[in-house]
Amino acid sequence: MEPLRELAKEKLKDKKVIAIMSAKGGVGKSVISALISLSLPSDVTLIDLDIHTMAIAKLFGVENVPLEVSKEGIEPVKIRNVNLISLAGIVRDRYVILPGRNQSNVMKELIAYSSIKGKYVVFDLPPGLGDEILVLEELSDFKPIVVTTPSKVSLKVVKYLLDYLNERKKKALVVVNMSYFTCNDQRVNLFGNYNGDVNLPIDPNLEDYIGKIQEYEGEVKKVIEKELIPQFM
Amino acid sequence: MHEWSIAYSVVKTLTENFNKKISKVTLVIPLFSFLDIEILKEAFNELKKENPIVENAELEVKIQEPTFRCRNCNREFKFSDIQQQVGEVKNSYGEEYPLHLMPELLPAFIKCPYCGSHDIEAIGQEIYIEKVEEYGAVERVS
Repeated sequence: MEPLRELAKEKLKDKKVIAIMSAKGGVGKSVISALISLSLPSDVTLIDLDIHTMAIAKLFGVENVPLEVSKEGIEPVKIRNVNLISLAGIVRDRYVILPGRNQSNVMKELIAYSSIKGKYVVFDLPPGLGDEILVLEELSDFKPIVVTTPSKVSLKVVKYLLDYLNERKKKALVVVNMSYFTCNDQRVNLFGNYNGDVNLPIDPNLEDYIGKIQEYEGEVKKVIEKELIPQFM
Repeated sequence: MHEWSIAYSVVKTLTENFNKKISKVTLVIPLFSFLDIEILKEAFNELKKENPIVENAELEVKIQEPTFRCRNCNREFKFSDIQQQVGEVKNSYGEEYPLHLMPELLPAFIKCPYCGSHDIEAIGQEIYIEKVEEYGAVERVS
């Protein structure tokens, strides 16, 4: 018997679980995870499952904040409506190299031993088709949000993920990040045309908010609030 | 404090998987997690009151000394061979050190004492329920 798995499942029971995923790296999953979490109408727990880069902690500027532990488990760092759980709070500023077989168990431990708050749980997954998706399927009936850019390479790889999700009868929402740039009120598709369920603009100002993403109220967040959030509420 | 999460997971697993009253449960934990057995038992005894299936159950805790194998040089080693490394991790992080919270993180912090590789396989690093004894029933071993 695996008490760890039971506990992880229990922690996600009765929650609305949203998984931000992509088969391709560098498409902006972590930024979108952060902005979706900040756009939700109530408290949310955002769990960074990308244990190697821990980008979420960097986006919110809390990479060196150690997590507290209470009777309920590892306590998240609260920023606005977002309760942040990241391995960064446990290992702090150190590399994490792990054999594949350990990765899925670390993910289960992170979920099982965390104090999960609020109605929503958002997972920021690492790129690829691996343990992370299989573990999440074991633990919850999640809503997949698949992130891509309009580039042909990204679309090709992301198709594999969509094929897999289709086979599993999971309806994914496709978010095309860095889809267009607005210049003189005209949309310019810099990297090609591809229409997803939601297309997000390029906002060069977003870069200034790395480390304080909670303060960003620009165009990308506005589109997420208006077009993406209502689709899975 | 992390011991409460583990105690809760044991109570939860038992109540979900058993119908008859349980007299004893044996839990195995890895040595390098340095869990506080007293706190673990105290938490279990507190949490078991919530469900009649486990309310009379006694918790036995076995501490397992894992064995390790390096997948790079294929040599095997024991906890005593990496004790100094674990001590250094404990010293630099304090009470809630990462291997206490997440034993599966071991290869991220410990190197093979022979070749320095992090590709370490640990046999016995999991926390698991070894045995459950029910009143008036044949014991179940997982």
